[in-house]
Amino acid sequence: MLINVQFYSYFKDLTGCGVTSVDVPTGATIADLLKSLAVRFPKLGAMQKSMLIAVGVDYQGRDYVLGEGDEVSLFPPVQGG
Amino acid sequence: MKRQLTITAEPIDESALIRQRKISTGMGAAVYFAGVVRGLEGEEKIAAIDYEAFQRMVEHQFNLLFDQIAKRWPIESVRLVHRVGVVKVGEPSLWVEIVAPHRAEAFAACQWLIDEMKRVVPIWKKVVQD
Repeated sequence: MLINVQFYSYFKDLTGCGVTSVDVPTGATIADLLKSLAVRFPKLGAMQKSMLIAVGVDYQGRDYVLGEGDEVSLFPPVQGG
Repeated sequence: MKRQLTITAEPIDESALIRQRKISTGMGAAVYFAGVVRGLEGEEKIAAIDYEAFQRMVEHQFNLLFDQIAKRWPIESVRLVHRVGVVKVGEPSLWVEIVAPHRAEAFAACQWLIDEMKRVVPIWKKVVQD
């Protein structure tokens, strides 16, 4: 199952891209996705403690089970205002 | 509760926003706040801040916050404008207005909304040097 992942703010600099896709098995969680991304983007892996995660337009935790068509967004703490 | 959310790359026209205010006769408080880009980031002089937004999620998260305001306080209306893109020092990047029957709930809701925005609404800053 192919999951699209978007990066925002300086996460784009850490990964060198704004968007990527990751092939994950059925039943995979966001934690599994992050492990896979950390191998490909070690600098992103180092940011996991402060990382915020959304699926679509809602925040989700690392135990969220990914589904077909999910769009995952990863970004650092927000700074509006 | 009436709500108006604007995410824009255009300058915030505070005078126009105030002229457009609609307030019913039962309301006694209109509180508004403008967040302005400071010329210093720490001790470093800067020229501007470049705001990036995850637009779809910004709109959704603001609407969730507005839903909570409507449940917590007897607010008649909330209007919020947030800039994206480059905002020069001295220009407002954020403008929020709450209209309510009394000042206590208007101030409380305005403060709460800004605090929550800084926690959950996906907007980021990048300093633009002089």
